[in-house]
Amino acid sequence: MVSEAVLTVRGLHKQFVIHAIGRQVPALRGVDLTVGAGQHVALVGPSGAGKSTLLKCVWRSCLPSAGEVWLRRRDSTAVDLAAADDRAVVEVRRHDIAYVSQFLRPDGRRSVLEVVGRAAIRRGLEPAGATAAAAAALRRVRLEEELWKTQPAVLSGGEQQRVNLAAGTLCPPRLLLLDEPVAALDSGHRETVLALISGLCRAGVSVLSVFHDLDAVRLLADRVVVMRDGQVAAEGSPDETLEPASAGGAR
Amino acid sequence: MAEPAPGWALRVTGLSKQFGRVTGCQDVGFEVAPGEALGIIGESGSGKTTVLRCIAGDVEPEAGTALLRRGPDVVNLFALDGPERRALRVSTIAIVYQDPAQGLNLRISAGGNIAEPLIAAGWRNFGRIRARARELLARVDVPLDRMDDLVGTFSGGMRQRVQLAKAVANNPALLLLDEPTTGLDAAIAAGVLDLIRDLLEETRVTALVVSHDMTVISMLSSRAVVLRGGRMVEAGLTDQLLEDPQDAYSQQLVAAARGTL
Repeated sequence: MVSEAVLTVRGLHKQFVIHAIGRQVPALRGVDLTVGAGQHVALVGPSGAGKSTLLKCVWRSCLPSAGEVWLRRRDSTAVDLAAADDRAVVEVRRHDIAYVSQFLRPDGRRSVLEVVGRAAIRRGLEPAGATAAAAAALRRVRLEEELWKTQPAVLSGGEQQRVNLAAGTLCPPRLLLLDEPVAALDSGHRETVLALISGLCRAGVSVLSVFHDLDAVRLLADRVVVMRDGQVAAEGSPDETLEPASAGGAR
Repeated sequence: MAEPAPGWALRVTGLSKQFGRVTGCQDVGFEVAPGEALGIIGESGSGKTTVLRCIAGDVEPEAGTALLRRGPDVVNLFALDGPERRALRVSTIAIVYQDPAQGLNLRISAGGNIAEPLIAAGWRNFGRIRARARELLARVDVPLDRMDDLVGTFSGGMRQRVQLAKAVANNPALLLLDEPTTGLDAAIAAGVLDLIRDLLEETRVTALVVSHDMTVISMLSSRAVVLRGGRMVEAGLTDQLLEDPQDAYSQQLVAAARGTL
């Protein structure tokens, strides 16, 4: 480990082995990538290019088949998440990484405020401070206060997504993994969330993201990594890698 | 490399149990960190309940060790004699059975059931025992006006709540949960599941959760092991077992659970 980057991915391979049909499906084929402190790196590319799989390999909900995933932790030690044992990964998730996908994990019958408050407790806040932190996080994503006592399951997709974001960002992690965080949002709430993400980066949080919305990528990303067939096809600034605004599509 | 793994509170190695010619479990091993809940997933006959019963001391294993650490002390649960085991079951290890009739005496009151472990632990003052029972029943959302009713008159969900209150009465260091919501109606099971999760988070007790249900395991534990035919086929982070199961059997289990997740 030489790099001072927050995230250094080297030679990452992921092969899904599906026993029932006796098939091996390659999803990542030798990905190299770094994300510096406070840097926002956006993954773009067609469906099936491996973008979400790459995020999941960093979060370790997918097991890498080969390669290294080095994370520089808050205490500046480095851990290879591809090789770390499960309990070490649990610790890293508690302190250093957050993962926000467009889907809300089932969380029983707790209210929105409790769901976000529990996330704060898991990140080490005292119960007394957790509720206040949760309320502040919900205000940041502009979730209407009358919804705080309801269960997330009854909320709209866009509201659920903001609950997810509030839970993922209330104690700023070292590395934030975002999988389509604005997919279900109307334009007003999209602006709020984009501002929240850009504010986190300015405060030093590193972001690795997947956005369907390329205007969001242009607005937020310091660097774009274009993926195709499980490999990095191109890399550069948004201007270098994306078509001019509103033309759409990666080059 | 990875940081050194945090210390363990429970360490099981080489656990094997035969029932005549039938394998209960074979060479099962895992570690559980202090305050962690580890899931044990498998279908009926996978050996998951056998593993739990061996650790609880209900079943005598053929081979293996189960080391329980409390502060500087380490005890091998499989090397205890009867009285030592019973003492540990009062002070340190509690189990919640799938069938409340196994963990409770249905012919005595809810308050009486909870008083049992307290008295076994040396509580003698009637008023204090009543107060503690009341506190515990309130915690598990059993109406206090039912405290003196026979548990046999309670619904399944309420019985399970009383069993949970009894299990945590002496603040155990290790809590064993055996299919704690199986057999309850879906809405009732969801309420009991929420209660268990809150208790695990509040008490920071070290726990083993046995279930055939991936949803239960994923709500209660961040790591789990998969058992089949008494053997461990896979261990991993719970969301990894759901998202990216490695073993052929784990993949079948997840595919079967997908419909309900």
